[in-house]
Amino acid sequence: MRTKIKNYITCFATAFFLFGFLLWGIIAPDKDVSTSERRPLAKMPTLTMESVLDNKFMSDFENYTLDQFPLRDNFRTLKAMVSFYVFRQKDNNQIYVNDGYAAKMEYPLNDSSITYAGKRFGYLYDTYMADKNINVYLTIVPDKSYFLADKNSCLSMDYEEFVRKMCAETPFAEYIDIMPLLSIDDYYATDTHWRQEKLLPVAGYLAEAMGGSLKESYSTAQLDKPFYGVYYGQSALPLPAENLYYLESPFLDACVVKDFETGDTMPVYDLEKGHGNDPYELYLSGSKSLIEITNPNASTNKELILFRDSFGSSIAPLFAENYAKVTLVDIRYIAPQILGRFIEFDDQDVLFLYSTSVLNNSTTLK
Amino acid sequence: MIFSSIPFLFYFLPVVILFYFLAPEKLKNAVLLFSSLFFYAWGEPRFLVFMMVSILQGYICGILIERYSDSNPKRSKIILTVSVLFSLFLLGYCKYTDFFLANFNALTGMSVPLLKIALPIGISFYTFQILSYTVDVYRKDVPAQKNLIDFAAYAAMFPQLIAGPIVRYADIAPQLKKRTHSIEEISLGIRRFVLGLTKKILLANTLAQLVNIYKASNDKSLVFAWVYAIAYTLHVYFDFSGYSDMAIGLGHVFGFQFPENFNYPYISRNITEFWRRWHMTLGSWFRDYLYIPLGGNRVSKPKWIFNILIVWMATGFWHGASWNFILWGLYFAILLVLEKLWLLKKLPKSGVIPHLYVMFFVLLSFVFFDSPNVPAALATLGSMFGFAGLPLISTETLYYLSSYAILILIGLLGSTPLPAKAAKKWFGESFLEPAVLLALLAVCSAFLIDGSFNPFLYFRF
Repeated sequence: MRTKIKNYITCFATAFFLFGFLLWGIIAPDKDVSTSERRPLAKMPTLTMESVLDNKFMSDFENYTLDQFPLRDNFRTLKAMVSFYVFRQKDNNQIYVNDGYAAKMEYPLNDSSITYAGKRFGYLYDTYMADKNINVYLTIVPDKSYFLADKNSCLSMDYEEFVRKMCAETPFAEYIDIMPLLSIDDYYATDTHWRQEKLLPVAGYLAEAMGGSLKESYSTAQLDKPFYGVYYGQSALPLPAENLYYLESPFLDACVVKDFETGDTMPVYDLEKGHGNDPYELYLSGSKSLIEITNPNASTNKELILFRDSFGSSIAPLFAENYAKVTLVDIRYIAPQILGRFIEFDDQDVLFLYSTSVLNNSTTLK
Repeated sequence: MIFSSIPFLFYFLPVVILFYFLAPEKLKNAVLLFSSLFFYAWGEPRFLVFMMVSILQGYICGILIERYSDSNPKRSKIILTVSVLFSLFLLGYCKYTDFFLANFNALTGMSVPLLKIALPIGISFYTFQILSYTVDVYRKDVPAQKNLIDFAAYAAMFPQLIAGPIVRYADIAPQLKKRTHSIEEISLGIRRFVLGLTKKILLANTLAQLVNIYKASNDKSLVFAWVYAIAYTLHVYFDFSGYSDMAIGLGHVFGFQFPENFNYPYISRNITEFWRRWHMTLGSWFRDYLYIPLGGNRVSKPKWIFNILIVWMATGFWHGASWNFILWGLYFAILLVLEKLWLLKKLPKSGVIPHLYVMFFVLLSFVFFDSPNVPAALATLGSMFGFAGLPLISTETLYYLSSYAILILIGLLGSTPLPAKAAKKWFGESFLEPAVLLALLAVCSAFLIDGSFNPFLYFRF
């Protein structure tokens, strides 16, 4: 009798699971975007004879069912938990967690990527800076594995070798080493990025190395929304929310930021974007190809051109104190060949500020 | 379509089960047939025609072989020959043409262009099933099937269509005509299916990641090469036996008893026993349709050895059109001959040594099995035995060994009967078993869904 009941339970529970998710999947409206992965989700493909015969419909339908599966993020969390806590795997999709910090394994050191990045920077130097009165600097922001990997026995690059290779590729730039000034506390636990409110020593050190100094005092403001960084979604683990802070000052209030893509001005801190899918876009509105911060109260006419990735967005406003104008260029979104149309290169400081993550995966640089 | 996919588990399977159990007894085979054709067409719409032509020729030839078996045996034999040649030609054309052309080019120095024919999924399985059916009808072991729907449902039946087990017509002929469905059978089928799914998704797929990591690594070491060989040996077992478990489980759900295909091969004490436990339906197929017709062991010793070499060369060739598969088959042939002539008498009957002997040679065999060609296989074997100039251990080895240690341990234990015995002892009549099965199904689904994890490149912002 007991066996019979057990068999009935097995059959009905399995049927409930399979039919339940089938119906749920059909009835539930499709989602447009995965906030955890920050990408659009697949939609139901169109059925045509051609798409069936070339198998496209089938593969698109599979992608659709995977992307739109009910409770998808919860299932991803279940998978991450089983990988970490049952199979005791050290990473899940190359994301690992140590001391409450989630990080992505940046491994191995990609020689060709460093060479490519060096060539792109070299092109910029040869085209716009050589034989001009321009001081060129390079600084490299370490990814979180620089601090975490050893503790977790995770695979990580040889960062000294990384810096040595990058410097060898950019002999025209003076390297400013900020790595000793940073610690894991200077980064968000759930995000790839550093925390602006902790960057004053680093910004001051960079400013000094470029012949200036930072004296401005700031107050710290907090975004009124919990911050879940990019690794929160990617790790799929229930990591606690963080607070996102930004530094305020009267001199920053007076600064004017111009977006060359639209021709419009915009605030230093875009609170609307701070409430969007990626709150880190609060700083200078996130990914922008070319923007300019003008400091009307500057006591100098000096200009800084900052070639940067996303780490530059949060530190750039702090440099504005020392310059009349700071121009931020992201050559992932603008071709270096056309930069001369927007910037007259002469008598400036130029700083290449890039993270190891971008330099080690530099195919996105144009 | 594959079992370990969301479209199969959460769309195809529930809908087919619904239609199947709502359909009257007479139409159940038709439901199975049309769902099988849909299942096949989902992955290979262009190749549906190959399968349907194969089925039709098997059906017609079966009837004709039977019709002339008494009145005109010669004609019956000719029809059998035509049917066998047709099946072998189809398999040969799709699977082996480029292999022969490439070897012809290599021998003659010519450059006949390769045809680059895509291999229809499951062709090795359904061709062998149809081939054995016509031979069985000719031998009068089974009567010819007169109902095309029933015959096509047998040949195309989706649970065993693309990865076996190789189900002989004789095994399920009575069930095609009449079978019973019960909660006990369905429950048994679900249990077997979920365990197979677990083997495939949680163990085989995860171990495959380690295999791929080794292949892509620039930091290989001697220990890493052995870790790879162990991971691949476990992967191939859980992958194949997991698929067989799912097929057998689905068979139970639909009222069929498919033959067992794996019986803990890694606990074998000699290679002869290993092949009695590994891909059992293929082994028995070659025994009954090639080895015995060649004379089996009732011939002179040299002819017997020759028969073994032929059978194992064919077994290797069946797995893939490449010299490394042929060598893989011959490697086992040599081991089997050595065992039969001498080694079996010398091997201890108990203790750990026979197991180490089997696993050592099986491990090496799967390095050949996994390699794209013979030089690559020799290179990996060289790495394992210190001839590649690799360090004993490397940073990557340590990291991945510690990251996959539990999985490898689960794999090693899971390839023995211990977990099944423990489950029987722990669960018994307990209601915990359905809960565990449901949890496993949920975890398997989670691993499948996470396969869609695809962060936008923008995450690097």
